[in-house]
This record gives sequence, C-alpha cells and structure tokens, in this order.
Amino acid sequence: MRLPVQDLMNMYKNNVYAAAFSICKNTSDAEDVVQDTFLQYYMTYKNFDNEQHIRAWLLRVAINKAKNIQSSFWHRKGMPLDDFIETLSFETPETKELFEEVMKLPEKYRVVVHLFYYEDYSIKEIAKILRTTESNIKVRLSRGRAKLKDALKEGWEDEQ
Amino acid sequence: MSNREQYKKAFSVLQTSSDFTLEDEKMAILKKKAMLRTFATAAAACLVIVGGSGTAYAANVGGIQRTIQLWMHGDQTDVTIDFDGSGNYTMEYTDTDGNTREAGGGGVAIEADGTERALTEDELILHLSREVDVSYNDDGKIMLYFQGQAVDITEKFENDTCYVFLNGTDISLYVTVLKEKDGAFHIASSPDRYLQFKETEPGIYTSY
Repeated sequence: MRLPVQDLMNMYKNNVYAAAFSICKNTSDAEDVVQDTFLQYYMTYKNFDNEQHIRAWLLRVAINKAKNIQSSFWHRKGMPLDDFIETLSFETPETKELFEEVMKLPEKYRVVVHLFYYEDYSIKEIAKILRTTESNIKVRLSRGRAKLKDALKEGWEDEQ
Repeated sequence: MSNREQYKKAFSVLQTSSDFTLEDEKMAILKKKAMLRTFATAAAACLVIVGGSGTAYAANVGGIQRTIQLWMHGDQTDVTIDFDGSGNYTMEYTDTDGNTREAGGGGVAIEADGTERALTEDELILHLSREVDVSYNDDGKIMLYFQGQAVDITEKFENDTCYVFLNGTDISLYVTVLKEKDGAFHIASSPDRYLQFKETEPGIYTSY
C-alpha cells in the first residue's frame, strides 16, 4: 500500500524530526533529514504492508540519514544545543532536565531510548528498525536507563 | 508521572518547521538540494583521498562524473558515477533505507581482431542498466531484481540452482542463479540461452 506523502508529512513529520534531532542534536540537520526522508518516500516505488510499516520505514530512513550526516563532513552550522534548549518551552523544569540528560547519552543509547519511550516500540521492533539483535537493544536500553537514573535520581523511575 | 509520559512531554517540544508541498517545481528543487549534499559529501571524501594518496589522485585526473537514474533493488535511484576513463567506475547512491552505498567495477571489450579496449562510459551505463541482482529481503525471501522488477525466487531453486526468464524494458534475459552454502549467489545472464555453472567452478559457466 501507499499513502499520499502530504498525509504522511502531517502525521509523522514531528516524529521524524524528533528522531533525527535525537541523533544530530542540531535543528538545521534535523530539518534536512525530515525533507530528505519524505522526499525519499515520494521518489521510492516501495510498497508497504500497512501504515505502521510506513511509519517504521520513515523512522529507519530518518535515523540512517541522520547518522550519515553525523559521519560526513557535511554539517550545517546551527545554534549550539544549549542555546537551542533555552528557546524550547518545556512544561516543567523536570522535563527540561530529562531532555538535557537524554542529549548527553551516547548516540547508540539515545536512539534506542527515544524509540522505546517516545515511539512506543518494543525491543523486538527496535531491533528490526535498527537492524541489530534484540540482545544488543536490551543492553543499550538498560545502559541508557541506568545513565538517566544516575543523572536524574528521583526524576527517573527505576525500571531495571 | 511514568518515565514514558515524562519523556513524551519532554520531546513533544520538538516541532519541525518543515512544510513542503508537492508542487513539481519545489520537489525538483528539493531533489537537486539532496543531490548537491550527496555530491558535496563525495567531494569532501575525495579531497581526503587526494591528500593521502597520489595514486588515487592520478586515477581521478581526467575522470568524468555523471548522475543518472538506475534501478537498484527494484527502485529507480539517482546514482552518482565516477568514470576513470580506463573502463572502471565507482558509484554512490542512497538506498531506500537511507544508507549511502558504494560500489564499483569495470571491464574490457574484446574487438573482432582480438584486441582489448576499455569499456566506454555508455557501455558501462548500459551494462549497469541491465544488471541482475539477487539478495535476501527483510522477510528472508530471495529476491531477484532486474530494472523495475522484483521477483521472489525463493521457491524456484532445484539443487541450489534457479532459472528465470525476464522481460526487461529494452532486453529479455535468461538468468541462472546458483545459491552457495554460505548464502552467496552467483548470477549469469544471456539474451540467448540459459547458462549453466560448472559444478566445481561456479564462476565459470557454459551454455545450457
């Protein structure tokens, strides 16, 4: 199946942006990833099983594109992360602190934590999206949680 | 508030300002922009090679770069190809999952008088446009890709060999695929007949 790209943009652009930002930590690069990801959907002839298949594909493409930008020489100059965070309107100081601590995690933990807590994917689904093993994802998630617990103390429930 | 609820609240502040429409003109600009970024990345990587290796630099002198559309795993894809003028090419493209892929190759043509010459750009492009590829997809199926076609050949193997006839846009091919025990595939194609691999030397094949 295929869905109109405009509909997908409306439904998932912020999810794609958040996933890209969680890797790039840069608004300009993340915006590029959003455009490139939907452009790739527009240009591909791939057929999908259902809407969830499309959503997982969009996130996988966005994550790969964000990683490509990270490993390339092609970075756009953007606002430093600390300055950018100050422009965001967090509901509470705790959510701001959580955002800052997630951004301090190593990338390989950050992306797994993001897909688990923000996108509600299971460990099995994350392993499929990132093309790695479930045990690898479990380890990354566990270490990411441990680091967040260590940094946020009472602000993060112990799930180990 | 659970960790998940708190996490969602924290990251819901991220809102993209991206808002592109599907007007042809704008899509063309976006496409060009995406290609320019790919080119810039390739150019930057090339400079590193130039700095580190005189041989690579010499090989690039007089080379030609072209961006064309090729069928890659059943998807029409923009591919940037560098030709070195000696019958060799390297190419870079982004697959449907967003991974940057690199590949390369080359070859010679044998003239009627037996002399060898390097393949031209157009001959290499023709070869690439007619290339047959076989690989496993995400569901573990063995897929054969040829131009715009993706054919599931999982059930077509007998004694680890599969024969498929393909009608392409400009050519029809008889394709033989040999599956090795380590999961690798050997592919041979001909517009005239099926080719058969020699049992002991899969790289060598004879007419069937």
